[in-house]
Amino acid sequence: MERTGFTYDFPRDSLLSVGDLNPLDVQMIFERARHHFDAARHNEENTRTLAGLTQIHLFFENSTRTQASFEIAARRLGADVVNFIPGNASISKGESLNDTALTLAAMRSDILVVRHRAAGAAAHFARVTGVPTINAGDGAHEHPTQALLDAFTLARRWGGIGGKRILIVGDILHSRVARSNISLLNLLHADVRLCGPATLLPADADRWGVSVFHDIDEALEGCDAVMALRIQKERMTGKLTPSDREFATLWGLTHQRLERAAQDCLIMHPGPINRGVEIDEALADDLDRTVILEQVESGVAVRSAILELVTGRAPNQSIADMRTHDVDDRRDEA
Amino acid sequence: MMLFVNARLVDPATGLDEPGALRIADGEIAEMGGHLTTKEHEQVIDVKGAVLAPALIDLRCAADPGSTGVQGVKAAAHAAAAGGIATLCLAPDSGDGLYRPEDFNTVNAAASNSPVRLHAAAMAVNSRNGVTEIGLNLRAGAVLVGDGGAPIADSRLARNVLAYAGGFDAWVSLRPEDPGLSRDTVATESDLAMRLGLPARPALSEAIAIRRNTALVNLTGARLILDRVTTSAGIEAALEARSNGLEIAVTTPISHLIFNTIDTGGLDARFRLDPPLRSEEDRLALIEALARGRIDAVVSDHRACLDESKARPFPEAAPGSATLEALLPALNTLAQDSGLSLAEALKPVTCGPADILGLDQGQLTEGAPADLVIFDPDAPVVYGRGKMQCTSMSAFKGRRLLGRRLITVVRGAIVHQMEN
Repeated sequence: MERTGFTYDFPRDSLLSVGDLNPLDVQMIFERARHHFDAARHNEENTRTLAGLTQIHLFFENSTRTQASFEIAARRLGADVVNFIPGNASISKGESLNDTALTLAAMRSDILVVRHRAAGAAAHFARVTGVPTINAGDGAHEHPTQALLDAFTLARRWGGIGGKRILIVGDILHSRVARSNISLLNLLHADVRLCGPATLLPADADRWGVSVFHDIDEALEGCDAVMALRIQKERMTGKLTPSDREFATLWGLTHQRLERAAQDCLIMHPGPINRGVEIDEALADDLDRTVILEQVESGVAVRSAILELVTGRAPNQSIADMRTHDVDDRRDEA
Repeated sequence: MMLFVNARLVDPATGLDEPGALRIADGEIAEMGGHLTTKEHEQVIDVKGAVLAPALIDLRCAADPGSTGVQGVKAAAHAAAAGGIATLCLAPDSGDGLYRPEDFNTVNAAASNSPVRLHAAAMAVNSRNGVTEIGLNLRAGAVLVGDGGAPIADSRLARNVLAYAGGFDAWVSLRPEDPGLSRDTVATESDLAMRLGLPARPALSEAIAIRRNTALVNLTGARLILDRVTTSAGIEAALEARSNGLEIAVTTPISHLIFNTIDTGGLDARFRLDPPLRSEEDRLALIEALARGRIDAVVSDHRACLDESKARPFPEAAPGSATLEALLPALNTLAQDSGLSLAEALKPVTCGPADILGLDQGQLTEGAPADLVIFDPDAPVVYGRGKMQCTSMSAFKGRRLLGRRLITVVRGAIVHQMEN
């Protein structure tokens, strides 16, 4: 499908929720991410598109991977990164969240990257500070960059996501990754399935445009990709699920289980994996199946793209004459 | 091959009650009808007009898989065979409790040389107030899961148990008693209990718990067995939930259909039961519910207690009573006293529990497993007199009942036969 003579600018200066995106936004993020992905693989010199900008990381919850990924993405493009660690600083001295936010705004930072245990925290910071903000996880609500990097990984492999059957398995109830992925995959017309113990599935999840399963063998039927979610150890003590071994036996991914999935079914995981619980050892090490490291690689590329787009620094920011096979192929079939 | 002639065939599943003969072969009911001709090399048993019905299925019996004594599974299985029971389901709180898949190894070992079919239910909650390995327990052979008679106080845990087990489409058996109201009590509140100075709970404690539990069933979509409903208000609450389309099964212990709170008047430890005995109004309401087919299963609620644990003042005695050999005659007597047809009275101990567990037995149909009981419904017996398999303390001791058990058949083989 061709859209000649039509231009579209990335309209947002923050990324708070997948729900704010439309397929064209996703398309723009993916195209720019593909550029960064290829550039990194070919060791090309980075364009310093973010030069002169200051990016503040505000991680109220511990994070190693996401924080590092944002930092690398920003530094490669020439931004200055400040890691504000609230646990060691003013928060512990009793400063209110709003005071923290206003202090950061007064420092004239250009981008905030926020992770906080409360749903809506990133949006709150964006509102209070007026600074472009990227949600790096707010409670069990959203983690939009993770969903975008997951979808990007799949789109890069497949060419498009529309019509593909993707299963998300594990602790959906507490997962922001699952929520963002469900929104995004639905936006991209995937066939989304959820599976897990009834105690880890949100009530009424069947109204989220997904099919809900308790039996993983049924759920895996014909799946093109499976996203395993991390099971928090503290939730395995009987409050919601009884034990590691019960989870591994009944919902753990194994080569044998995957026989019911599509032949080239891909295994994803946002990391870090509990080996032998969500995914068994042999499968976790099977590089023909898992794209877990590729997800990490995509993460930097996708975040680079997002940082450029929300700051208006992406070259050729507006899209004209765009081929939209990534997002629109299913619509074309229909 | 075996042929029973001159029988009164009673099938609770179809309401059949007529004279006839029944042939069994290869562990199954091969043929039944008014007159069957004898085949060569066939053992023919003339039951002389006695009732021939499906053998009983007992959905709740507490017996210790690890014990060889009176409290053990072996003793219970033999008492069951003598009591016309061919299928016995061990309660989750049997012995030290069936919590882990490994615990079913002992049960499965006991089942392999038991005269009757042995099933077991698993505990759904552990001692740390967490959900047990319900999925693995079901794989290990548990036929349902439950709280084992200790009501779950925390509604969030109860919800999680129902939701988690519901994910496996398993029945969850919960004891309907409000934990706060019933804590440390040994009787039902009544004028008598108050005069006796017994710590007592209001009968309403049961209905309160039923309303919470059925509301949680509505939330989670689980299948709930109300484990031993014994009050009028409890039956009403259960019916109301069921009329809203919820999948709810009601069980009632045989003792509470026969005895009432007056029986505790002598402070005799034999009548120290859990749930405690209820008022006569409640007992009549249970019989009424039974007659209307509202009780899915009548259970023996058998729990053999060691003599020393019963040789104590009423409030300090262990709760429980041996009942396996009383179940059939007590129900038969109840039918005769209350004008219930025998087929109706036997329904909650045959096809009723079979439907819950999805078993093929519990009915007289060609091709069904040959699990049968033959008994004389009009012969008077006194519980505890004559040869008893279970000698443990029983509320039924000395009770005059109707119905003498003659033969019990399990899988086509006679496992118990009365002399003469």
